[in-house]
Amino acid sequence: MTRRIAVVVSQGQSASPARRRLEEEIVAGLLERPGLDVTILPHLYDLQADSTGVLALQGIVGDMIVLAWLYPRAAFWTLDRQGIRGQLGATRIKGADEDAADEEEDADRDEAAGGAADGPRDAPPPVEHSRGAAGRRIYCLDLRARDDARSFLEEIDRLTEEARVQVTDLIGWVGGTPRREALQRYLTPSHHAPPTSGNGNGSPTRAEGNGDGGRGQHALGAGSPAQAQPAEAGPGNHRATDEQAPVRRWYPVIDFSRCTNCMECIDFCLFGVYGIDRAETILVEQPDNCRKGCPACSRVCPENAIIFPQHKAPAIAGGSVQQASLKIDLSRLFGAPDASADPLQVAARERDEQLLLAGRPAVGTAVGMPPRRERPVDQPPDELDQLIDRLDELDI
Amino acid sequence: MSEPLVFLMGQYPAPLPVDRSYARNHMWALRRPDGWRFGFTAYAVRLLQDVYFLDWTVEPGAELRERQPIGSIESKKAESELYAPIAGRLARLNESLMADPSSINVDTYERGWLFEIEGSGQSLLSAGQYVAHLDEVWEITQRTIKGQLNE
Repeated sequence: MTRRIAVVVSQGQSASPARRRLEEEIVAGLLERPGLDVTILPHLYDLQADSTGVLALQGIVGDMIVLAWLYPRAAFWTLDRQGIRGQLGATRIKGADEDAADEEEDADRDEAAGGAADGPRDAPPPVEHSRGAAGRRIYCLDLRARDDARSFLEEIDRLTEEARVQVTDLIGWVGGTPRREALQRYLTPSHHAPPTSGNGNGSPTRAEGNGDGGRGQHALGAGSPAQAQPAEAGPGNHRATDEQAPVRRWYPVIDFSRCTNCMECIDFCLFGVYGIDRAETILVEQPDNCRKGCPACSRVCPENAIIFPQHKAPAIAGGSVQQASLKIDLSRLFGAPDASADPLQVAARERDEQLLLAGRPAVGTAVGMPPRRERPVDQPPDELDQLIDRLDELDI
Repeated sequence: MSEPLVFLMGQYPAPLPVDRSYARNHMWALRRPDGWRFGFTAYAVRLLQDVYFLDWTVEPGAELRERQPIGSIESKKAESELYAPIAGRLARLNESLMADPSSINVDTYERGWLFEIEGSGQSLLSAGQYVAHLDEVWEITQRTIKGQLNE
């Protein structure tokens, strides 16, 4: 029997037709390929821990290819947070960095980190070192990196081949063929509940088993509350009260390959988002306490280890600074403040805004601020930065 | 009602009704009994094009300062943070946009309204002043957008 490879397609959050089309074309291509177990999920970052989507992911053993509208590093550590662990596999699709086709994982990771915080790191080792390596590889592809399905399918073929060659044994996979109706369901989604589907027969994911009851979407902010299975509706479950509005979550994701457990974040955050586990390692304990839109703790993190995957700034969203968005950013036009301000001041201001919104007094820089330190400048300003600076000067 | 003013964005004439005020961050502002109702101007909508998703990070009742981040928007052409046009208390969000934000495109100056803020709105501009503001910024806005697109 040939080894089956899991390919996960995590859908975008918005109704953008271009994004939908790309997802559909990729899924159609995947279903034509034998030996792949295709799973379609709502947006990875929005999945609740007890959702069927996460259960499906946790059921996947062996290597996995994940396509998401996220930077690879953000996708990888979002999965890690849900207990889906492995090594970040090197891919040849790296956003706008066409030329960076390196194979080395470490180089890959440093690059994805935007080159920030690469100062002296002789002091504490990253938390990851103490966790032990997980055997399998997780390859993360950023769907924003290309606009044609073929590029992704070719890369998936290459990775699949690589994984097949690499591995000698087969762990508990049961064979199966991707189902036609899975594609059909995908192509004609009901408005509020994009389908989760498409595992091979007997695949160990549970999304399949819930195929009729809200299609495994109950906790996913896509709203089919009536069908939520009580057994899985845990306390952290978003209720999706407003049936019509998709819920985008907002919480930090820790990159444990960078985090040194320094505890600056837990000191800084006044909303109880962070906690420590039994091994006294930092964790995001109460993600839904996080204040939507506020990335302040990531600015105080000395190792640039805190990712807010949905933030506009690539350095905060887990990307490489060079990675250009496919869309223009009009934030300056709508009133964005000057980005060149001191990050600690920005963090204090953002935190104060959230404290005030929560009806609490502002604290400024008086509480939980790390000692002032040299922060490396991410990148020298490029032409675009200069253009935008000129926009600022004009006070548009 | 008086004819709207028009600002020409290349070939595209952006209408700017004179029955209301304008914020420098490209929102219109219509007087309400207890404050102002805001929405995107035709100028902003032209730059955004089809709006796919609107997301607020604040709730009604929140006290906002001018230019405080309040949410984000995703459209065919752009992704952007959104900021409070004036200081004041957020009174209301246009809930009907949450499921379907297309009113922003099809009925920019009426059903496409975004939110209402109770505040003095001292910093708001007249339609004429807003056109003058656009005259100042249009050139560099174009260059910036082209610069981003050519990246």
